Amino acid sequence: MGIDISDLSVAYGTEKVISGLTLNIPEGCFFTLLGPSGCGKTTLLRTIAGFVPTCGGTIRFGGLDVTRLPPHRRAIGMVFQDYALFPDKTVVQNVGYGLRARGEKGTAARLKIDEALERVGLGALGDRHPAALSGGQRQRVALARALVIKPQVLLMDEPLSNLDAKLRIQIRETITELQREANITTVFVTHDQEEALSMSDLVGVMNRGAVEQLGTPQEIYARPLTGYVADFVGSANRLSADLRPHAQGLIEADIGPARILASDALVAPAEKGLLILRPEDLKITPAAQEGVQSVPATVRGRQYLGAKTSYRLDLGGAIEVTAESHETGHDRYAPGDRVSLGIDPALARVIAK
Amino acid sequence: MTAAQFRTPWFWLSLLALMLLSLFVLYPLLNILTASFLGDGPSGWMRVIETPKYRQAIANTLILASAVTVICTLIGVPLAYVTARYTFPGKALIALLPLITLVIPEVIAAQTWLMMLGNNGLITKFLREFGIRLPSFYGWFGLITSMSFIYYTYVYIGTVAAISKFDAQLEEAAQSLGTAPVLSRLRVMLPVILPTILASALLVFTMAVGNFAISMILSHRLPLLSVATYQAAVAEGASDITMQSTLASVSVLIVMSVLFFNRWIVRRGRFEIVQGRGARPAALRGLGGLAVGRPSGAVVVISLLPLVTIAIGAFTRSRGPVMQWGEWTFDNLIRVFVTAPGPLVNSLVYAGVATFISIVFSALVSYLVVKKPNILTPWIDYVSAVPLALSGTVLGVGLLATFNSGWLSLSGTASIIVLAYVVRRMPFGMRNGQAVLHNIPNSLEEASISLGVPPVQSFFKVVLPVMLPAVASAAILTWTTTVAELSASILVYSGGRETLPIQIFRLIDSGLMAYASAYGLVLVAVILIPIIVATKVFGIDVFSRR
Repeated sequence: MGIDISDLSVAYGTEKVISGLTLNIPEGCFFTLLGPSGCGKTTLLRTIAGFVPTCGGTIRFGGLDVTRLPPHRRAIGMVFQDYALFPDKTVVQNVGYGLRARGEKGTAARLKIDEALERVGLGALGDRHPAALSGGQRQRVALARALVIKPQVLLMDEPLSNLDAKLRIQIRETITELQREANITTVFVTHDQEEALSMSDLVGVMNRGAVEQLGTPQEIYARPLTGYVADFVGSANRLSADLRPHAQGLIEADIGPARILASDALVAPAEKGLLILRPEDLKITPAAQEGVQSVPATVRGRQYLGAKTSYRLDLGGAIEVTAESHETGHDRYAPGDRVSLGIDPALARVIAK
Repeated sequence: MTAAQFRTPWFWLSLLALMLLSLFVLYPLLNILTASFLGDGPSGWMRVIETPKYRQAIANTLILASAVTVICTLIGVPLAYVTARYTFPGKALIALLPLITLVIPEVIAAQTWLMMLGNNGLITKFLREFGIRLPSFYGWFGLITSMSFIYYTYVYIGTVAAISKFDAQLEEAAQSLGTAPVLSRLRVMLPVILPTILASALLVFTMAVGNFAISMILSHRLPLLSVATYQAAVAEGASDITMQSTLASVSVLIVMSVLFFNRWIVRRGRFEIVQGRGARPAALRGLGGLAVGRPSGAVVVISLLPLVTIAIGAFTRSRGPVMQWGEWTFDNLIRVFVTAPGPLVNSLVYAGVATFISIVFSALVSYLVVKKPNILTPWIDYVSAVPLALSGTVLGVGLLATFNSGWLSLSGTASIIVLAYVVRRMPFGMRNGQAVLHNIPNSLEEASISLGVPPVQSFFKVVLPVMLPAVASAAILTWTTTVAELSASILVYSGGRETLPIQIFRLIDSGLMAYASAYGLVLVAVILIPIIVATKVFGIDVFSRR
């Protein structure tokens, strides 16, 4: 069942949080709302759930208008950031809670509960209370509880943010597996780009109550349309540039100390734009190499990070960029060294300012 | 306010709660304030100014409350400091303090002080044999002594909490910057805990102003505000509505100005209540231990004395008002349970019903205030705190003036006693309920709704069970305080509806101390048994929240 949101507006008091948002999430899609805190992603999720009243627009689940439907009648499954397990009830009672509300009792319900617990790998812990479970186990119970009622739509509000790094990766896989298996339309809210990129079919990057860019993880990362998206998904050097057209679909970006050829990702032709350079796409060499677009630079600072070294490079004219080096001996340059910075025009992008 | 808010049941429940609060809290208060200006003849305020007795009553009340406040602070703060920072022999006894304030109703405390130090008291008689004559316990001496030894616990409890929350690192920081330990304590700790000390001292002040039981029993010929109010309300023949309302208004004004003064101090100071690691208590041994332990122990023992006294008194034979110390009997208790069990039954029923209503109301209403705020809920919050400014006597006068006749005539029924209990307990129930609910995340309820259970049902199925342990401890606290309530119920009760405290008060008034002791012992048992059962059987921590 797909989710169609059209012209949605939400306000807290007099403050508009979301205005005129339109978004279509296809059936069975794992959709992630990605953004920093305060961008409106949780508000949007809670509006889809029905906990936040709308002040304009419509929300449809598979064609059915649910805008005015109270949350308990929307047939959603929801997973909360703090799990929201009922502390006075056992794992089985927690998972069975939604079934009871649907009038399902007895052995049929018990079978469903056991199956759901089995699926999340908690078959043996049914009689425990939430307090006796680890964080990862609680998260799995919350998942089982949301999925056992076979919801039309699964909504998850930063479900992994309270877990430690290793567990997070494990549960990521559990979630995507279960979602694919049940083929259930899912909206997943996170501020973690790695989660968004690794789990989603579609990502919507949110900024100030609007979806700034919508696309597959690959599109969002490799072809950001705005400086905000480029910087939030991964990291990026953003340099103001004067633009001049060039052959072969390329564009020449004059950043002051240097002119750099880059791929043209402008929506409309412009004289000024932003040159986006990802640190991991920049190549540092002792001297300019044949056939590679190179810019001279001076090393100003470095951070050794184990698998890589991050350098702060001065291009002249008070322009600094960050570049990362991954190959063996990546920490060989020291502050003060004169180096050459190789930039592949295909990986450098010019976008609207 | 959007149309959506009207669609939910919460708005209508809020409206209902606000209407109930207005009817039973605001309306009586309004009646008191207006009645002081109405009525035949000169207005109540003119009469207060012109009659020396009333002027004296106000002055005496203020002097008494100030004296009690100072003494309570002088006892409570040092006691709190030594218990928070040191361990010493006998410290465990001090842990009993909060219990003492709860289980000894004021009327019993007053009674036992009389039994010890009254004209016919044990100690008075004992000292008289040695030719030592104590000043009469009636009047200033008795009032200040007995109130101080009850109310100092409030200063103690507040200050202990503040000191143990105080971050000891601040003190260490001051020392590291070169101030001596004692000086740094004074300079760093005192300013931080001062607001708490002040708040609890002001609480004591308002309680002393509103005090009824002790004032009534021990004031004798000394005019006091609460006594004058009571007498104006129950005067033989025609009770004086104008006068009782005026005197009640005076009391409300005094308490209100104290509460505003407290707020003003806290605001003005902009104190950040520093929370952090408290200091570990250091052990005091040898002379130091004795020097601290002895006086602290003495304070506690004096506070516990009433319990011992009524236990002895309840089994002591008496002829009329004369106690025959040393002769034992069960007659007094037989009277309580067999001959005249009315007060016991009444107390159990009224306090039971009031506890139930109070708990349900405060759980639901604090839920509205915390979890379902709308334009009405702030008003609910304010109005439910109003009884804090009303002493029992004032509330009794208000209820009597409001529900005596008219469309809602409650006087002469048991319901007005229950109403008095519920209203008096309301601010505490609300505060407790709100504190509990703030600790329950909203997501719990939303999880239930997302699983298909409608909002109201979700509250009962998910939120209420989580609140239950806290609700249980609140119920016990409510029970202990309502079952001991005297000052409001004595104004609104009618013949045959005496409760235990009312009966005790009447017996003391007639000088029948042995009977009073027996009823008192039963009252203490009625208070203590639920506490013991709750803590021992159900493991509920009754005293963690107040």
